[in-house]
Amino acid sequence: MLYRKAGIFHTDYAADRALFPIPADRWTIGLLLLIAATAPLYMNSLYLSSYLLPWLVWTAATLGLNLILGWAGQFHLGYAAVMGIGAYAAVHAVRTGIPWEIAIVLAGFTAAVIGIGFAFAALRVKGLYLALSTLALQFVMDWTISHVQAISGGTQATLQAPDIRLLGIPITSDAGLYYIALVWCLLVTSFMLNLKRTALGRALVAVREKDYAAAVIGVNSFYFKMVAFATSSFIGGVTGAILIGTFYHAVTPEQFSVDVSIQALAMVIVGGLGSIIGSYFGAAFILLMPGVMNSFISWLANLLGLSLSLETLAHLPQALYGALIIVFLLVEPLGLGKIYNNIRDYLLVWPFGYVKK
Amino acid sequence: MALAEDTSNPVLECRSVERRFGGIVALNGIDMEIRRGEIFGLVGPNGCGKTTLTNAITGFYPPQRGNILFNGNDITGIAPHKVATLGIARTFQNLALFNGMSVLDNILLGRHTHMKPGVARTALYWWLARSDETANRAVVEDVIDFLQLESVRDELVDGIPIGLKKRVELARALAAEPNFLILDEPMAGMNQEEKEYMARFILDARDERNVTVLLIEHHMDVITGICDRMLALNYGAMIGSGKPADVVADPRVVEAYIGGAHVSR
Repeated sequence: MLYRKAGIFHTDYAADRALFPIPADRWTIGLLLLIAATAPLYMNSLYLSSYLLPWLVWTAATLGLNLILGWAGQFHLGYAAVMGIGAYAAVHAVRTGIPWEIAIVLAGFTAAVIGIGFAFAALRVKGLYLALSTLALQFVMDWTISHVQAISGGTQATLQAPDIRLLGIPITSDAGLYYIALVWCLLVTSFMLNLKRTALGRALVAVREKDYAAAVIGVNSFYFKMVAFATSSFIGGVTGAILIGTFYHAVTPEQFSVDVSIQALAMVIVGGLGSIIGSYFGAAFILLMPGVMNSFISWLANLLGLSLSLETLAHLPQALYGALIIVFLLVEPLGLGKIYNNIRDYLLVWPFGYVKK
Repeated sequence: MALAEDTSNPVLECRSVERRFGGIVALNGIDMEIRRGEIFGLVGPNGCGKTTLTNAITGFYPPQRGNILFNGNDITGIAPHKVATLGIARTFQNLALFNGMSVLDNILLGRHTHMKPGVARTALYWWLARSDETANRAVVEDVIDFLQLESVRDELVDGIPIGLKKRVELARALAAEPNFLILDEPMAGMNQEEKEYMARFILDARDERNVTVLLIEHHMDVITGICDRMLALNYGAMIGSGKPADVVADPRVVEAYIGGAHVSR
């Protein structure tokens, strides 16, 4: 009812493979883009820079991790380290006078090169062993970054990130930084959308599902795993650089520690493996839910006239937030993206539920 | 016979191929020659080495001794994904479709060796990949048409019945436009009608798409019905080869398959 497929006919293969073959979807996307593009006009700059912007940047990171985890099916427990490599590379590049837009590309390539070098060794093992060896990447990078003076400036040091300059124009306003995050997130999203319809994306899924069957149709599993690692590291590196440039404005090793890796992993899994819309939901859920839970608990305590101790107020939201993740995954193991798809499929034929979609 | 039999230039040749797993001799000196345009049957009791032989040809278990020649070139020990680029396609005894993708995407994967997957092509799909994707889609639609899979084209492959899954796997193999096709028990678990359909598809594939077929099957009616020549294995050794009618009548083959008591009758 809300969406309609009936009466939509595609007369060539390109139209059939369009990103959004249903007109209703195209209108929705257009509307969302308009809302996103005009956000600085009507949105309080606090919300813009402390909720919307980090959400977009983390969505890009989630998509990058989803490429390796959801598409190629390879564990990665060191994604924060990859982002950290990008962040430090960009900061140092800008400090030596390289323009920011080139510096973030360099950051991406640095992350990709280190990612490939590492993957070359790590990809010789599979499954849980791969997960553990990617965790090793995290710890090696943590140690290297904090102990090599030339990178971090000392164990406890914080490196100030120079202001972003695009084509020589300094960008410091909240709106400007928001647009940078938005454009990067949209670029990564369009890449991932295209991945759903190109030979590369299919090859990655083949490697994920059955590597022997992939080999028989000519897919070189090892090569495509490497491509997945490199691409995902590139996205992670650039995202790390953008996270520092637009949000933190300074870089320390703790911003890319192992718990951040786990957080990124949670975003992918809660959002849904291999789901693009799910990556948006997952990043939003993991980023915003702790805060929302906090205010909800205090509101509830006020309402019921309970006086909760500070300790309880600090820990209860965390516990509830954890419980909520478990509930969501029990309801739908493929995450929020799948829940969205189920609702969408239902609405596609509502109220004629007996019709096959 | 649709194509003139050409004995001078075999598509595939196995020369005393031997493969051991520890102390077990899975293949013991197999000689096999498959001629262009032929449907070649491979039979034998369970565990006799049929699948091991296909795995030796496709590079999963390279033989320890002997050679495998494809179109006159030695392909012994070449990695599986490189064997595919030479024009050898196969299906699996236990289905090996890629779950989570549509039937169409599964068959499109068969075009992998004809396409150039890459990061730049994916990022700049509209300029670098669209024409390639469309051209290969046309080939795939041809195969879908050939195997009558139109109605399930957009279904997820996880959810379709097993008979159709077998057909999708054949479609994926044919989409690669191979000149040699290995079918590992394509009719396992099928009823009579589905078997007849599949047999017809195999004959049509040979006649219309110029594919030489190596067919592994337990259904003797299919083997005698559509195969031009065949080879019977037992415990990794050859026990009979030639025209199906002769091989099936061979006492050694009957003994291996049905048991010694029947031979004397």
